[in-house]
Amino acid sequence: MTLSEIANGKLAPRTGIRLDNISKRYGDHLVIDDVSLNVEPGTVTALIGPSGAGKSTFLRCINLLERPDSGTIQVDHHTIEPGKVINAKDLAALRRTVGMVFQSFNLFPHMSALKNISFPQQKVLGRSKEEADERALQLLERVGLKDKAHQHPGRCSGGQQQRIAIARALALDPSIMLFDEPTSALDPEVGLEVLAVMRELADDGMTMIVVTHEMQFARDVSDTLVVMADCKIIEQGDPRAIMSDPQEDRTRRFLRAVLER
Amino acid sequence: MNWLIEWAGYLPQLMSGLGVSLMIAGVSIVAGYPLGLVLSVMVQHRNLAVRTLGLAVVEIGRGAPALVILYLFYYGLPKFGIAFESITAACLALIWNSAAYSSEIMRAGMQSVARGQHEASAALGLSRGHTFFRVIMPQGMRSAIPGLMGVAIQMFQGTSLAYAIAVPELMKSAYNIGSQDFNYLQIFALAGICYAAISMPATWITVYFEKRLARHT
Repeated sequence: MTLSEIANGKLAPRTGIRLDNISKRYGDHLVIDDVSLNVEPGTVTALIGPSGAGKSTFLRCINLLERPDSGTIQVDHHTIEPGKVINAKDLAALRRTVGMVFQSFNLFPHMSALKNISFPQQKVLGRSKEEADERALQLLERVGLKDKAHQHPGRCSGGQQQRIAIARALALDPSIMLFDEPTSALDPEVGLEVLAVMRELADDGMTMIVVTHEMQFARDVSDTLVVMADCKIIEQGDPRAIMSDPQEDRTRRFLRAVLER
Repeated sequence: MNWLIEWAGYLPQLMSGLGVSLMIAGVSIVAGYPLGLVLSVMVQHRNLAVRTLGLAVVEIGRGAPALVILYLFYYGLPKFGIAFESITAACLALIWNSAAYSSEIMRAGMQSVARGQHEASAALGLSRGHTFFRVIMPQGMRSAIPGLMGVAIQMFQGTSLAYAIAVPELMKSAYNIGSQDFNYLQIFALAGICYAAISMPATWITVYFEKRLARHT
Protein backbone atom coordinates (compact mmCIF):
# COMPACT_ATOMS: atom_id res chain seq x y z
CA MET A 1 0.00 0.00 0.00
CA THR A 2 1.13 3.51 -0.61
CA LEU A 3 1.44 6.16 2.03
CA SER A 4 -1.70 8.04 1.08
CA GLU A 5 -3.69 4.83 0.70
CA ILE A 6 -2.79 3.94 4.26
CA ALA A 7 -3.69 7.42 5.31
CA ASN A 8 -7.03 7.37 3.59
CA GLY A 9 -8.03 3.76 3.70
CA LYS A 10 -8.73 4.32 0.05
CA LEU A 11 -7.44 7.06 -2.15
CA ALA A 12 -8.95 10.38 -1.19
CA PRO A 13 -10.56 12.45 -3.92
CA ARG A 14 -7.85 14.69 -5.21
CA THR A 15 -8.37 18.27 -4.33
CA GLY A 16 -6.72 21.42 -5.52
CA ILE A 17 -6.78 24.80 -3.92
CA ARG A 18 -7.16 28.27 -5.32
CA LEU A 19 -6.09 31.46 -3.61
CA ASP A 20 -7.00 34.82 -5.04
CA ASN A 21 -5.68 38.25 -4.17
CA ILE A 22 -4.44 37.34 -0.71
CA SER A 23 -3.08 40.30 1.24
CA LYS A 24 -1.86 40.46 4.79
CA ARG A 25 -0.39 43.26 6.85
CA TYR A 26 0.85 43.55 10.40
CA GLY A 27 -0.06 47.10 11.31
CA ASP A 28 1.54 49.26 8.65
CA HIS A 29 3.82 46.51 7.52
CA LEU A 30 2.70 44.69 4.39
CA VAL A 31 3.74 41.03 4.42
CA ILE A 32 1.65 39.51 1.60
CA ASP A 33 0.85 41.79 -1.30
CA ASP A 34 -2.07 40.62 -3.43
CA VAL A 35 -0.85 37.09 -4.08
CA SER A 36 -2.84 34.60 -6.15
CA LEU A 37 -1.99 30.96 -6.62
CA ASN A 38 -3.82 28.07 -8.19
CA VAL A 39 -2.74 24.59 -7.20
CA GLU A 40 -4.05 21.77 -9.39
CA PRO A 41 -5.16 18.52 -7.74
CA GLY A 42 -2.39 16.01 -7.33
CA THR A 43 0.46 18.42 -8.00
CA VAL A 44 3.40 19.53 -5.94
CA THR A 45 4.12 23.24 -5.67
CA ALA A 46 7.46 24.34 -4.26
CA LEU A 47 7.59 27.82 -2.79
CA ILE A 48 11.08 29.30 -2.72
CA GLY A 49 12.59 32.71 -2.22
CA PRO A 50 14.75 34.78 0.11
CA SER A 51 13.84 34.87 3.78
CA GLY A 52 11.41 37.61 4.63
CA ALA A 53 9.73 37.19 1.26
CA GLY A 54 6.51 36.08 2.96
CA LYS A 55 6.60 32.41 1.94
CA SER A 56 5.79 30.98 5.34
CA THR A 57 3.21 33.64 6.09
CA PHE A 58 1.53 32.92 2.78
CA LEU A 59 1.53 29.19 3.50
CA ARG A 60 0.03 29.84 6.93
CA CYS A 61 -2.68 31.94 5.31
CA ILE A 62 -3.82 28.89 3.37
CA ASN A 63 -5.15 27.09 6.45
CA LEU A 64 -5.83 30.37 8.24
CA LEU A 65 -3.17 30.06 10.92
CA GLU A 66 -2.59 33.60 9.77
CA ARG A 67 -5.71 35.41 8.80
CA PRO A 68 -5.35 37.37 5.55
CA ASP A 69 -6.91 40.83 5.47
CA SER A 70 -8.43 40.23 2.07
CA GLY A 71 -8.71 37.70 -0.73
CA THR A 72 -10.51 34.41 -1.22
CA ILE A 73 -9.60 30.79 -0.59
CA GLN A 74 -11.42 28.14 -2.59
CA VAL A 75 -11.09 24.52 -1.65
CA ASP A 76 -13.43 21.59 -2.12
CA HIS A 77 -16.51 23.68 -3.00
CA HIS A 78 -15.92 25.92 -0.02
CA THR A 79 -15.16 29.55 -0.61
CA ILE A 80 -13.71 31.42 2.32
CA GLU A 81 -13.25 35.16 2.42
CA PRO A 82 -10.89 35.75 5.33
CA GLY A 83 -11.50 39.51 5.24
CA LYS A 84 -15.07 38.83 6.33
CA VAL A 85 -16.56 36.73 9.09
CA ILE A 86 -15.53 33.10 8.74
CA ASN A 87 -18.08 30.64 9.97
CA ALA A 88 -16.88 27.80 12.12
CA LYS A 89 -18.10 25.16 9.68
CA ASP A 90 -16.01 26.50 6.79
CA LEU A 91 -12.97 26.81 9.01
CA ALA A 92 -13.40 23.23 10.24
CA ALA A 93 -13.85 22.00 6.67
CA LEU A 94 -10.73 23.85 5.54
CA ARG A 95 -8.61 22.50 8.40
CA ARG A 96 -9.94 19.00 7.73
CA THR A 97 -8.97 19.16 4.06
CA VAL A 98 -5.58 20.71 4.64
CA GLY A 99 -2.84 19.06 6.71
CA MET A 100 0.26 20.90 7.84
CA VAL A 101 3.83 20.05 8.77
CA PHE A 102 5.92 22.61 10.63
CA GLN A 103 9.60 23.45 10.66
CA SER A 104 9.72 22.82 14.40
CA PHE A 105 7.60 19.61 14.23
CA ASN A 106 5.30 20.75 17.05
CA LEU A 107 4.56 17.27 18.27
CA PHE A 108 2.79 17.06 21.61
CA PRO A 109 5.68 16.34 23.99
CA HIS A 110 3.49 14.78 26.69
CA MET A 111 2.09 12.10 24.38
CA SER A 112 3.75 9.05 22.87
CA ALA A 113 4.28 8.98 19.11
CA LEU A 114 1.28 6.68 18.80
CA LYS A 115 -0.93 8.97 20.86
CA ASN A 116 0.23 12.03 18.93
CA ILE A 117 -1.20 10.40 15.83
CA SER A 118 -4.17 8.65 17.39
CA PHE A 119 -5.57 11.38 19.64
CA PRO A 120 -6.42 13.95 16.91
CA GLN A 121 -8.20 11.26 14.87
CA GLN A 122 -10.44 10.47 17.82
CA LYS A 123 -11.23 14.09 18.57
CA VAL A 124 -11.47 15.52 15.05
CA LEU A 125 -12.88 12.59 13.08
CA GLY A 126 -14.61 10.77 15.92
CA ARG A 127 -12.78 7.50 15.27
CA SER A 128 -12.71 4.86 17.97
CA LYS A 129 -9.49 4.44 19.88
CA GLU A 130 -8.89 1.02 18.33
CA GLU A 131 -9.40 2.30 14.81
CA ALA A 132 -7.26 5.38 15.40
CA ASP A 133 -4.47 3.37 17.02
CA GLU A 134 -4.47 0.90 14.17
CA ARG A 135 -4.27 3.69 11.60
CA ALA A 136 -1.51 5.33 13.61
CA LEU A 137 0.52 2.13 13.71
CA GLN A 138 0.13 1.62 9.96
CA LEU A 139 1.36 5.12 9.31
CA LEU A 140 4.24 4.77 11.74
CA GLU A 141 5.29 1.60 10.01
CA ARG A 142 5.11 3.31 6.68
CA VAL A 143 7.40 6.14 7.78
CA GLY A 144 9.71 3.52 9.26
CA LEU A 145 9.07 4.27 12.93
CA LYS A 146 6.86 1.49 14.21
CA ASP A 147 9.39 0.75 16.93
CA LYS A 148 9.02 4.32 18.22
CA ALA A 149 5.26 4.02 18.74
CA HIS A 150 5.49 4.14 22.52
CA GLN A 151 8.33 6.62 22.78
CA HIS A 152 7.72 10.27 23.58
CA PRO A 153 8.92 12.80 21.00
CA GLY A 154 11.71 13.94 23.32
CA ARG A 155 13.33 10.55 22.83
CA CYS A 156 13.25 10.74 19.05
CA SER A 157 15.69 12.48 16.74
CA GLY A 158 14.60 15.52 14.76
CA GLY A 159 14.15 13.51 11.59
CA GLN A 160 12.09 10.93 13.43
CA GLN A 161 9.97 13.63 15.03
CA GLN A 162 9.28 15.21 11.66
CA ARG A 163 8.25 11.87 10.19
CA ILE A 164 5.91 11.32 13.13
CA ALA A 165 4.51 14.81 12.50
CA ILE A 166 3.87 13.91 8.87
CA ALA A 167 2.12 10.72 9.96
CA ARG A 168 0.03 12.73 12.42
CA ALA A 169 -1.15 15.07 9.68
CA LEU A 170 -1.82 12.22 7.24
CA ALA A 171 -3.88 10.32 9.78
CA LEU A 172 -6.65 12.90 9.39
CA ASP A 173 -6.99 12.10 5.68
CA PRO A 174 -6.12 15.52 4.30
CA SER A 175 -6.31 15.96 0.56
CA ILE A 176 -3.79 18.79 0.58
CA MET A 177 -0.58 18.92 2.59
CA LEU A 178 1.32 22.08 3.50
CA PHE A 179 4.98 21.83 4.46
CA ASP A 180 6.61 24.82 6.11
CA GLU A 181 10.37 24.35 5.71
CA PRO A 182 10.10 20.76 6.95
CA THR A 183 13.84 20.09 6.82
CA SER A 184 15.25 23.45 7.86
CA ALA A 185 15.69 22.43 11.49
CA LEU A 186 17.42 19.17 10.54
CA ASP A 187 20.95 18.07 9.66
CA PRO A 188 21.24 17.65 5.89
CA GLU A 189 21.63 13.91 6.31
CA VAL A 190 18.61 13.57 8.58
CA GLY A 191 16.62 15.84 6.29
CA LEU A 192 16.96 13.19 3.59
CA GLU A 193 14.76 10.72 5.50
CA VAL A 194 12.07 13.35 5.67
CA LEU A 195 12.43 14.28 2.02
CA ALA A 196 12.16 10.61 1.08
CA VAL A 197 8.81 10.38 2.85
CA MET A 198 7.63 13.55 1.12
CA ARG A 199 8.78 12.28 -2.24
CA GLU A 200 6.78 9.11 -1.74
CA LEU A 201 3.75 11.12 -0.81
CA ALA A 202 4.12 13.19 -3.95
CA ASP A 203 4.40 10.01 -6.01
CA ASP A 204 1.12 8.87 -4.49
CA GLY A 205 -0.53 11.94 -5.92
CA MET A 206 -0.98 14.04 -2.80
CA THR A 207 -1.53 17.71 -3.50
CA MET A 208 1.36 19.45 -1.76
CA ILE A 209 2.59 22.97 -1.21
CA VAL A 210 6.12 23.05 0.15
CA VAL A 211 8.04 26.06 1.40
CA THR A 212 11.62 24.92 1.13
CA HIS A 213 15.27 25.74 0.63
CA GLU A 214 15.96 22.26 -0.76
CA MET A 215 16.60 23.11 -4.41
CA GLN A 216 17.19 19.54 -5.44
CA PHE A 217 13.84 18.52 -4.04
CA ALA A 218 12.14 21.50 -5.66
CA ARG A 219 13.65 20.62 -9.03
CA ASP A 220 13.05 16.87 -8.93
CA VAL A 221 9.73 16.59 -7.17
CA SER A 222 7.70 19.73 -7.74
CA ASP A 223 5.47 20.29 -10.73
CA THR A 224 5.36 24.02 -10.23
CA LEU A 225 8.02 26.27 -8.81
CA VAL A 226 6.85 29.51 -7.27
CA VAL A 227 9.37 32.21 -6.44
CA MET A 228 8.39 34.78 -3.85
CA ALA A 229 10.27 37.97 -3.03
CA ASP A 230 9.23 41.19 -1.34
CA CYS A 231 5.77 39.90 -0.37
CA LYS A 232 4.86 38.91 -3.93
CA ILE A 233 5.10 36.02 -6.34
CA ILE A 234 7.64 37.19 -8.87
CA GLU A 235 7.88 34.12 -11.02
CA GLN A 236 6.23 30.73 -11.37
CA GLY A 237 6.30 27.82 -13.75
CA ASP A 238 8.20 24.67 -14.59
CA PRO A 239 10.95 24.20 -11.98
CA ARG A 240 13.66 23.15 -14.43
CA ALA A 241 12.89 25.99 -16.78
CA ILE A 242 13.01 28.58 -14.02
CA MET A 243 16.16 27.17 -12.50
CA SER A 244 18.03 27.03 -15.77
CA ASP A 245 16.66 30.22 -17.22
CA PRO A 246 15.07 32.58 -14.70
CA GLN A 247 13.23 35.49 -16.24
CA GLU A 248 13.47 37.83 -13.30
CA ASP A 249 16.65 39.41 -12.11
CA ARG A 250 15.61 38.90 -8.49
CA THR A 251 15.10 35.17 -9.11
CA ARG A 252 18.49 34.96 -10.78
CA ARG A 253 20.22 36.57 -7.84
CA PHE A 254 18.43 34.31 -5.36
CA LEU A 255 19.15 31.12 -7.31
CA ARG A 256 22.79 32.06 -7.73
CA ALA A 257 23.11 32.61 -4.01
CA VAL A 258 21.49 29.26 -3.19
CA LEU A 259 23.06 27.12 -5.86
CA GLU A 260 26.59 28.42 -5.46
CA ARG A 261 26.57 27.57 -1.81
CA MET B 1 21.25 19.50 79.42
CA ASN B 2 18.31 20.81 81.35
CA TRP B 3 16.86 22.71 78.43
CA LEU B 4 16.79 19.56 76.36
CA ILE B 5 14.60 17.87 78.92
CA GLU B 6 12.40 20.96 79.03
CA TRP B 7 12.07 20.90 75.29
CA ALA B 8 11.11 17.27 75.33
CA GLY B 9 8.38 18.17 77.80
CA TYR B 10 6.99 20.80 75.44
CA LEU B 11 6.97 18.53 72.45
CA PRO B 12 3.64 16.70 72.87
CA GLN B 13 1.70 19.95 73.00
CA LEU B 14 3.71 21.41 70.13
CA MET B 15 3.17 18.28 68.07
CA SER B 16 -0.58 18.53 68.41
CA GLY B 17 -0.29 22.16 67.26
CA LEU B 18 1.88 21.07 64.37
CA GLY B 19 -0.75 18.50 63.45
CA VAL B 20 -3.42 21.20 63.29
CA SER B 21 -1.13 23.41 61.19
CA LEU B 22 -0.46 20.59 58.74
CA MET B 23 -4.15 19.83 58.56
CA ILE B 24 -5.04 23.44 57.72
CA ALA B 25 -2.25 23.61 55.15
CA GLY B 26 -3.39 20.31 53.67
CA VAL B 27 -6.99 21.46 53.35
CA SER B 28 -5.99 24.80 51.84
CA ILE B 29 -3.91 23.00 49.23
CA VAL B 30 -6.23 20.10 48.45
CA ALA B 31 -9.21 22.43 48.06
CA GLY B 32 -7.32 25.52 46.92
CA TYR B 33 -5.40 24.09 43.97
CA PRO B 34 -8.38 22.69 42.07
CA LEU B 35 -10.09 26.02 42.70
CA GLY B 36 -6.93 27.72 41.46
CA LEU B 37 -7.12 25.67 38.29
CA VAL B 38 -10.70 26.80 37.74
CA LEU B 39 -9.65 30.41 38.36
CA SER B 40 -6.72 30.15 35.96
CA VAL B 41 -9.11 28.95 33.26
CA MET B 42 -11.55 31.76 34.06
CA VAL B 43 -8.80 34.38 33.87
CA GLN B 44 -7.91 33.20 30.36
CA HIS B 45 -11.53 32.89 29.25
CA ARG B 46 -12.83 34.62 26.13
CA ASN B 47 -16.00 35.77 27.87
CA LEU B 48 -15.40 39.14 29.53
CA ALA B 49 -17.78 38.50 32.44
CA VAL B 50 -16.13 35.18 33.30
CA ARG B 51 -12.69 36.72 32.97
CA THR B 52 -13.58 39.69 35.17
CA LEU B 53 -15.06 37.51 37.88
CA GLY B 54 -11.97 35.28 37.84
CA LEU B 55 -9.65 38.28 37.97
CA ALA B 56 -11.55 39.80 40.88
CA VAL B 57 -11.30 36.63 42.96
CA VAL B 58 -7.60 36.22 42.14
CA GLU B 59 -6.63 39.83 42.71
CA ILE B 60 -8.45 40.09 46.04
CA GLY B 61 -6.92 36.81 47.13
CA ARG B 62 -3.44 37.99 46.23
CA GLY B 63 -3.85 41.65 46.98
CA ALA B 64 -5.31 41.49 50.46
CA PRO B 65 -3.08 40.14 53.25
CA ALA B 66 -4.22 36.69 54.31
CA LEU B 67 -4.81 38.04 57.80
CA VAL B 68 -7.35 40.57 56.50
CA ILE B 69 -9.27 37.84 54.71
CA LEU B 70 -9.05 35.68 57.79
CA TYR B 71 -10.58 38.46 59.93
CA LEU B 72 -13.26 39.12 57.34
CA PHE B 73 -14.33 35.49 57.46
CA TYR B 74 -14.16 35.17 61.23
CA TYR B 75 -15.29 38.58 62.48
CA GLY B 76 -16.92 40.08 59.40
CA LEU B 77 -19.28 37.45 58.07
CA PRO B 78 -21.22 36.86 61.32
CA LYS B 79 -22.69 40.29 60.64
CA PHE B 80 -24.55 38.62 57.76
CA GLY B 81 -25.54 35.74 59.95
CA ILE B 82 -22.74 33.52 58.64
CA ALA B 83 -20.61 32.33 61.50
CA PHE B 84 -17.75 29.87 61.29
CA GLU B 85 -15.74 28.04 63.86
CA SER B 86 -12.28 29.54 64.02
CA ILE B 87 -10.68 26.57 62.33
CA THR B 88 -13.22 26.64 59.48
CA ALA B 89 -12.67 30.34 58.98
CA ALA B 90 -8.91 29.75 58.88
CA CYS B 91 -9.30 27.01 56.28
CA LEU B 92 -11.61 29.10 54.10
CA ALA B 93 -9.33 32.13 54.16
CA LEU B 94 -6.26 30.08 53.33
CA ILE B 95 -8.12 28.19 50.59
CA TRP B 96 -8.85 31.54 48.96
CA ASN B 97 -5.23 32.55 49.42
CA SER B 98 -3.82 29.36 47.95
CA ALA B 99 -6.36 29.33 45.10
CA ALA B 100 -5.39 32.87 44.13
CA TYR B 101 -1.64 32.29 44.22
CA SER B 102 -1.74 28.85 42.62
CA SER B 103 -4.02 30.09 39.82
CA GLU B 104 -1.43 32.66 38.77
CA ILE B 105 1.31 30.03 38.73
CA MET B 106 -0.88 27.70 36.66
CA ARG B 107 -1.82 30.52 34.30
CA ALA B 108 1.84 31.44 33.82
CA GLY B 109 2.66 27.78 33.21
CA MET B 110 -0.03 27.43 30.57
CA GLN B 111 0.94 30.67 28.87
CA SER B 112 4.54 29.49 28.70
CA VAL B 113 3.54 26.55 26.49
CA ALA B 114 5.10 27.07 23.06
CA ARG B 115 3.05 28.83 20.42
CA GLY B 116 3.69 25.94 18.07
CA GLN B 117 1.50 23.75 20.27
CA HIS B 118 -1.46 26.03 19.69
CA GLU B 119 -0.69 26.19 15.98
CA ALA B 120 -0.35 22.44 15.57
CA SER B 121 -3.64 21.94 17.40
CA ALA B 122 -5.38 24.49 15.20
CA ALA B 123 -3.92 23.03 12.03
CA LEU B 124 -5.13 19.57 13.06
CA GLY B 125 -8.61 21.00 13.57
CA LEU B 126 -8.80 20.32 17.31
CA SER B 127 -11.48 22.31 19.10
CA ARG B 128 -10.59 25.02 21.61
CA GLY B 129 -11.66 22.75 24.45
CA HIS B 130 -9.56 19.80 23.33
CA THR B 131 -6.62 22.08 22.64
CA PHE B 132 -6.82 23.58 26.08
CA PHE B 133 -7.55 20.54 28.20
CA ARG B 134 -5.53 17.92 26.30
CA VAL B 135 -2.62 19.85 24.85
CA ILE B 136 -1.98 23.10 26.72
CA MET B 137 -3.05 22.30 30.26
CA PRO B 138 -1.04 19.09 30.76
CA GLN B 139 2.12 20.83 29.60
CA GLY B 140 1.44 24.03 31.51
CA MET B 141 0.71 22.17 34.74
CA ARG B 142 3.96 20.29 34.40
CA SER B 143 5.99 23.47 34.33
CA ALA B 144 3.88 24.84 37.18
CA ILE B 145 4.79 22.00 39.56
CA PRO B 146 7.83 23.63 41.25
CA GLY B 147 5.93 26.89 41.72
CA LEU B 148 2.95 25.06 43.18
CA MET B 149 5.21 23.26 45.62
CA GLY B 150 6.61 26.63 46.63
CA VAL B 151 3.10 27.94 47.31
CA ALA B 152 2.40 24.83 49.37
CA ILE B 153 5.34 25.69 51.62
CA GLN B 154 4.09 29.26 51.93
CA MET B 155 0.64 27.97 52.82
CA PHE B 156 2.10 25.83 55.58
CA GLN B 157 3.92 28.82 57.02
CA GLY B 158 0.83 30.94 56.49
CA THR B 159 -1.14 28.71 58.84
CA SER B 160 0.61 30.56 61.67
CA LEU B 161 -1.80 33.44 60.95
CA ALA B 162 -4.64 31.30 62.28
CA TYR B 163 -3.13 31.98 65.69
CA ALA B 164 -4.80 35.39 65.45
CA ILE B 165 -8.25 33.82 65.72
CA ALA B 166 -7.24 31.33 68.39
CA VAL B 167 -6.97 28.22 66.26
CA PRO B 168 -4.90 25.74 68.28
CA GLU B 169 -2.18 25.41 65.67
CA LEU B 170 1.58 25.39 66.18
CA MET B 171 2.00 29.09 67.02
CA LYS B 172 -0.92 29.07 69.41
CA SER B 173 0.44 25.99 71.18
CA ALA B 174 3.84 27.62 71.47
CA TYR B 175 2.32 30.80 72.86
CA ASN B 176 0.31 28.85 75.43
CA ILE B 177 3.36 26.97 76.62
CA GLY B 178 5.40 30.15 76.70
CA SER B 179 2.85 32.02 78.76
CA GLN B 180 2.96 29.34 81.46
CA ASP B 181 6.56 29.98 82.48
CA PHE B 182 7.54 32.95 80.29
CA ASN B 183 10.13 30.89 78.47
CA TYR B 184 9.24 32.56 75.18
CA LEU B 185 12.68 32.53 73.63
CA GLN B 186 13.09 28.80 73.89
CA ILE B 187 9.57 27.86 72.94
CA PHE B 188 9.37 30.09 69.89
CA ALA B 189 12.79 28.90 68.77
CA LEU B 190 11.47 25.37 69.07
CA ALA B 191 8.33 26.31 67.11
CA GLY B 192 10.55 27.83 64.44
CA ILE B 193 12.50 24.60 64.27
CA CYS B 194 9.23 22.71 63.82
CA TYR B 195 8.23 24.95 60.89
CA ALA B 196 11.70 24.60 59.38
CA ALA B 197 11.69 20.84 59.86
CA ILE B 198 8.80 20.67 57.44
CA SER B 199 9.60 23.58 55.13
CA MET B 200 13.26 22.90 54.47
CA PRO B 201 12.93 19.31 53.24
CA ALA B 202 9.94 20.46 51.22
CA THR B 203 12.12 23.13 49.63
CA TRP B 204 14.77 20.56 48.80
CA ILE B 205 12.16 18.38 47.14
CA THR B 206 10.99 21.42 45.15
CA VAL B 207 14.51 22.13 43.95
CA TYR B 208 14.88 18.50 42.99
CA PHE B 209 11.70 18.67 40.91
CA GLU B 210 12.80 21.92 39.31
CA LYS B 211 16.02 20.29 38.19
CA ARG B 212 14.30 17.15 37.03
CA LEU B 213 11.71 19.02 34.98
CA ALA B 214 14.35 21.29 33.49
CA ARG B 215 16.24 18.23 32.34
CA HIS B 216 13.32 16.72 30.47
CA THR B 217 12.09 19.73 28.57
